[in-house]
Amino acid sequence: MRAKRAALLALIAAALGLVFSAYSTYDYAVQLDRQVHAVHCSFIPGASVSTDADNPCKAALFSPFSAIFRATYWGGVPISLFGLGAFVFFVGFAVYVWVGDRRLPRSAYPTFLALTLGPLAASVVMFTISVTQLHALCKLCVGTYVASIALVAAAGLGLRANRREATPAESEGVGVGWSTPVVALAALGACAIAPALVYVDLLPDYRPLLEKCGKLAMPVDPHHGLIKIPTAHPVRAVTLFEDPLCPTCRVFHERLVDEGVFERLDVTMAMFPLDSDCNWMLDRSLHPGACVLAKAVICGGTEKGRAVLEWAYDEQDVLRELGKQGAAPLTAKISDRWGRDLATCVASKQVSVQLNQHLHFAANNHVPVSTPQMFLGDQRVCDEDTDLGLKYTLAQLAPEVLRE
Amino acid sequence: MSNDNQRLPGPQKTPSPDEVYRGRVPSARDILDAGRDPSRGAEAGGRLAAVSGAAVGFALLLVVSGSVASMVHGAKERIAHPASVQAAQAVAVADDAEAPYCTPAFKQVLQRVLNACGLVGTEQRRGCQPADVKTFASISDDDFNALFTPLKDRGAVLMFDDASDVLDEGAKKLLDERWLDRKGARYFFVVARASRDGTVERNRALSHKRANSVMFHLKESFQDPELDNHVGLLWLGSEFAQLSNAYCEWPHSRENKHCTPQDINRSAFASWVDCRL
Repeated sequence: MRAKRAALLALIAAALGLVFSAYSTYDYAVQLDRQVHAVHCSFIPGASVSTDADNPCKAALFSPFSAIFRATYWGGVPISLFGLGAFVFFVGFAVYVWVGDRRLPRSAYPTFLALTLGPLAASVVMFTISVTQLHALCKLCVGTYVASIALVAAAGLGLRANRREATPAESEGVGVGWSTPVVALAALGACAIAPALVYVDLLPDYRPLLEKCGKLAMPVDPHHGLIKIPTAHPVRAVTLFEDPLCPTCRVFHERLVDEGVFERLDVTMAMFPLDSDCNWMLDRSLHPGACVLAKAVICGGTEKGRAVLEWAYDEQDVLRELGKQGAAPLTAKISDRWGRDLATCVASKQVSVQLNQHLHFAANNHVPVSTPQMFLGDQRVCDEDTDLGLKYTLAQLAPEVLRE
Repeated sequence: MSNDNQRLPGPQKTPSPDEVYRGRVPSARDILDAGRDPSRGAEAGGRLAAVSGAAVGFALLLVVSGSVASMVHGAKERIAHPASVQAAQAVAVADDAEAPYCTPAFKQVLQRVLNACGLVGTEQRRGCQPADVKTFASISDDDFNALFTPLKDRGAVLMFDDASDVLDEGAKKLLDERWLDRKGARYFFVVARASRDGTVERNRALSHKRANSVMFHLKESFQDPELDNHVGLLWLGSEFAQLSNAYCEWPHSRENKHCTPQDINRSAFASWVDCRL
């Protein structure tokens, strides 16, 4: 009876894993239309979507770890799809052990336990990535981890109960057959892959969409005031429009760096702070203080501009709060970190003029009032292609930046 | 399902499932029979379990694959036919500033000045003579002056000595300040004038020189490669409506000196214009 209960527990765990994986997959697949969508982020299956821009499930979804084959398929193949298929298998296997109970081959429960280690291992890997790389735990992911753990526990309990409940004659059975583990492993593989195959087979053709987001009309800044950012192996010219206090810019920059792309770009950076203090295109500041930090990046120039920008991204939460208090606290913070010379530069008229030229560069090119923006040569990379579709887009438009 | 583990070893050889149930689902009879024969029962039960598990798994896999197909297909449809609300959402585009004073009348004059003065198009000449203004402005002199009223705080009056086209230090400083305070403007207007002292021809020439002085100073000071595309010069002779004493209240380069109507007309008004064209 205990084995039966364990099988039931495994069935529930697998079903739960299936539900969490299904939500993760849905949240991922819905992004395939290149629009902005809220994502689910709750331990309660069926809870409404979260509109919080910073929710950890969104961070996980848009991280480079959420999918594979990103350069081949737009958005890649979400790993939740494999989880979805795997949990389908485990639901079936749980039914198998529940119905079969003591009439199963002796290898059934060990096979079950061994196979459940797969989702557990995947969960451990993803949990480690969440903690060490994303610094956040997505509730849907945690639900999947818990389901994986419960599945292993149920399989373990089932194995133990099955051995205890077996008669001496049953226990003394000889020979270890391999057909159950082999067939089960093959079935698990087939189940795990099947949804992914359906997914990639039906994916839209994104290639015609990649070049529909405009071009730089005047790619050369007549004042030559944009910032050149030195990188290790620049192979492709790119112009980036950045705002030091824009969270999306920070994530985008981290993505480029994490994926090894940034070092292969020949970067020209235009500051485009969404702060009405200096940016006339806004009727209110989206990121108060961004003008001051943009000036700091300009003052950093080719030598220190990248370091100043990355510092601003790293300290963004603190700097955003300071920015709401006015320019003085921000300038003081800049002085503390980068020295008085740079702070003096930030306050100078000259750098204000330079920043104004950056903004006029944006105006001359009639770029959208948003950040970040990336132009490969003069071709604008669509916003929709700067997150999930970034690697695919680069593979299509600038494959040289993905080659080692 | 399998013959791998003979968990219920019987005295006789247990037939393999393939031998007993080749290619079919165990029937009720098989299961009843299995109750009588433990070894056969185990096989039948195992087979039933396998079939049940496989059936559930397969059905679920179909549902899941169908759902995935539906999700991807839905996205494909939304790409092909974006929702009208989303399609209608206009994305703000970076552009020059457009201030409230950019009325149609103001923009009409601005456009004509820019066209006639060579800032727009391929004309080589720079600057407009009073006759041009008379032709293209199509408005009265007073109305023409009034157009610049909204620029009172944005611009400044650079004052000259009598019969002089030389910018003094105060004028240069004020001009530099105004030039650097560009914000979102694309065009920088310089409207030079002369007082009524002297002949019309002489004043017209003087006005022209004053406008050029402003241009030369900007070129020397800032060496802006875009300067020629930004600065519009307009020189008005004494035959144009003179500025009244009220314009002495405008920011000017001789704040500490007494301002007369003659002084305010020996000048060049310089301002960025925050209008799109």
